[in-house]
Amino acid sequence: MRILIIEDDREAANYIRKGLKECGHVVDHAVDGEEGLAMSRSAEYDILVVDRMLPKLDGLSVIESLRDEGVSSPVLILSALGEVDHRVEGLKAGGDDYLVKPYAFAELLARVEALARRRDPEVVRTKLVVGDLEMDLLARTVVRGGEDILLQPREFRLLEFLMKHSGQVVTRTMLLEKVWDYHFDPQTNVIDVHISRLRSKIDKPFDEALLHTVRGAGYRLQA
Amino acid sequence: MIRRLPSFVRTTAFRLTLLSAALFALSSFLILAFVYAASAGAALQRTDAIIVDEFAAVERRYDESGIDGVNRYILQRTVGGSDFLYLLINPNGRLLSGNLNGMPDVVPDDEGWLDFVYGRAPAGDESEARDSRRARARLVEIGDGYSVFIGVDFEDEDRLIGRMLRAILIASALVIALGIASGVVVSRRFSRRLDAINTVARTVKGGDLSPRAPRNGSGDELDELSSNFNAMLERLEELMHRMRNVGDSIAHDLRSPLTRMRNRMEDALRAGGTRQSRHAALEQALIDSDELLGVFNAILSISRIEAGDRRESFERFDPAPLVSDMGELYEPVCEDSGHSFGMQVEEGLLIRGDRSLFSQAMANMLDNAVKYTPDGGAIQLRLRRSSDGRAEISVTDTGPGIPEADRLRVIQRFVRLEKSRNQPGSGLGLSLVKAIADVHGAELRLEEGAGGVDGHGPGLRIAMIFPADE
Repeated sequence: MRILIIEDDREAANYIRKGLKECGHVVDHAVDGEEGLAMSRSAEYDILVVDRMLPKLDGLSVIESLRDEGVSSPVLILSALGEVDHRVEGLKAGGDDYLVKPYAFAELLARVEALARRRDPEVVRTKLVVGDLEMDLLARTVVRGGEDILLQPREFRLLEFLMKHSGQVVTRTMLLEKVWDYHFDPQTNVIDVHISRLRSKIDKPFDEALLHTVRGAGYRLQA
Repeated sequence: MIRRLPSFVRTTAFRLTLLSAALFALSSFLILAFVYAASAGAALQRTDAIIVDEFAAVERRYDESGIDGVNRYILQRTVGGSDFLYLLINPNGRLLSGNLNGMPDVVPDDEGWLDFVYGRAPAGDESEARDSRRARARLVEIGDGYSVFIGVDFEDEDRLIGRMLRAILIASALVIALGIASGVVVSRRFSRRLDAINTVARTVKGGDLSPRAPRNGSGDELDELSSNFNAMLERLEELMHRMRNVGDSIAHDLRSPLTRMRNRMEDALRAGGTRQSRHAALEQALIDSDELLGVFNAILSISRIEAGDRRESFERFDPAPLVSDMGELYEPVCEDSGHSFGMQVEEGLLIRGDRSLFSQAMANMLDNAVKYTPDGGAIQLRLRRSSDGRAEISVTDTGPGIPEADRLRVIQRFVRLEKSRNQPGSGLGLSLVKAIADVHGAELRLEEGAGGVDGHGPGLRIAMIFPADE
C-alpha cells in the first residue's frame, strides 16, 4: 500500500515509517500541513496518517480541504487530544479513525490495515465466511461446520467485527471502541475475557482454531 | 510644574466627598439666600404697610378737621420721640411741623416713595454727634397743596438683615470647610482599608498566599470585597496546595517504576547479558512504560474533568441502558475471577451529565471491585432510586473493604493504601470516579459493603448519588 504520513515530529514519523516499510508498505512523509496537502494532491495514496497538530496548516484543515476536493482515501488521525469531543471533531472533519498518542506501533498498524480493508469496493454483504465459519447477517445466525452456534447479541457483534476484519490484527482498544463504543481503557482485561468466551463457543468444540491471539497486539480471526 | 497632591486627594472617596460637600454647600447657600430674600422683602413690605396705615390715619384727621388737625396730630405724635418721621409741608415748600430737619435730598419715585439717610443722635446722647440711619418714607399731597411726609426708620432691621447675610455667608463657608474636612477623614479611612487590601494583594503576588484582607464585620461593600477576596485566596491556596500534592504524589508514584525501568535497561546494556535477557528486559521496560503512560493519561483525564469543560455538553439521559451495557461487559470478568455477579437496574431514572464519563466511572468502580475482591466473592452493580428520589449507581463487593478512617483518603489522588501498593494500576481509579462525581454535582459515598458472609471481608460499597433532576 502507498501511505502518506503527515507528522511534524520527525522521530515519530521515522518510527512509523520504518515499521510500515517493514510490513511491505510504500511510505512518504510530509513535515507540515501545507506540504502534506500538496503531496496528497500530487499522488494517489491508499491511506493518509495525519497528525492533528501541524505547523502551517493544522491536520483537520488538511483533511477538510482534501475531502472538499473529492479525495476519498481513508484518513487516520493521530492526536494527543483524546477526549470524546476531540474525536468527534476529527471524524466530522472527514477522518475515518482516531488514534490517541502515545500509541503502540501494533495499534497503528492494525488500524491502518483495517482502514485499507474499508477501501475495498464493499458490496452489501449479507454473509460472512471465514473457513468453515459462516455468519448470516440477516438471519443473525452463526454456523460452523454445519453446527449452529448460539451467541449473545454482543458476542455476535464481536464476531461480526472480527470476521469483517478476518486475516487482520484487531487490537483490544479497537474492539472496545468499535464493538462497545467505549473510549477509555479499563484497567482489567475485559476484552480478553470476552474473547475467551467467544473462543469457547466458536473454536473449542472444533479441531482447528480460528481466533488467534497476536502477542503484544491483539487478535486475529483467520482460517 | 504641578505639585503632587497628597495621596488622599487623588482617592475616589475624597473626590466624591468633596463633590457632595460642594453640592450640599450650594444647596444650603440657595436655601439661605431664599430665606434672606424672603425675610428682607417681607421687612420692606411691612415698612411700606406701616407707612400706608399711618397715612390713612393722617388723612382721617384731614377729613375731620382740615390741615390744622393734621398739624396737631403730627405735633402730638412727635412729642417725646416717635417711631415715625413726619413732615408737614405747605404749598410754598415751608415746613410746618415734623421731627426732621428738612426734606431729604432724594427725589421720590412716581408713587412718592423714597429711601434716604438721615442723622439722629443716639438715645441719651445730647452731643452734636449724629448717627447716619437708613429710612424709608412716602411723600403724599393730602389736599389744598399741603404735602405730608411720613417715614420709618429701618436702620435696626437693616442691620439685622446684614447680620443675617453675614451669618449665611459664614455658614456656607463653614459647610464647605466641613465638607472638605470630612472628605479628608472619610477618604483617609477608606483608602486605609483599600490600602490594606492592596497590601495583601501585593504580598500574594509576591508568592505568599497566607495573608488575608482585614474584615470589620460591618458587611459594607469593602467588607464584602475583603470577604470575596479572601474566598478567592482560599481557593487559590487550595489549588496550589493540591498542585503541590499532585507534584509530590507524581514524584512518589512515578519515581519507583521509572527507577526500576532505568535499572533494568542499564543492566541489559551492561556487557555479559545474553541476547535473551536483553530482550526480556526490553519487554519488561515496555510494560513499565505502558503503565507509566497509563498513569499520565489518568492524571490528564482527571485534570480535564476537574476543569469542567465537559459540563457544556451535559445532556439528560436514562442511565439504565448504560448500566446494563457495563454490567454485560464486566459480568464475564467477575465470573472468570470466581465472583458471583449481580445486577439490578431500575429504569426510568433521569440524570444530567456526560454518558461517556458516567460509563467510565462505572468501569472504574467495577475495576476496583474486581481488583480487590478475593476469588469467590460477590460483586453487585445496582442502579436505583434512592429513598429521596435521586438516581444512585453503586458497586458493592465482598473484599477487604476500606477502614472508615481511610475512606476519604482513597479518593484523593494517588492514595493507595499500603496494603495494595503492589497491585497494578495507577492508583487513580477512585480519584477519577471522584472527579466525575464532582463535575456532575453527585455525592460519592464509600461505605461498608454487605458484610463478612462466609469468611469474606466486610466489603465495600461505592455509591454515586446524582442530584435530583428537576
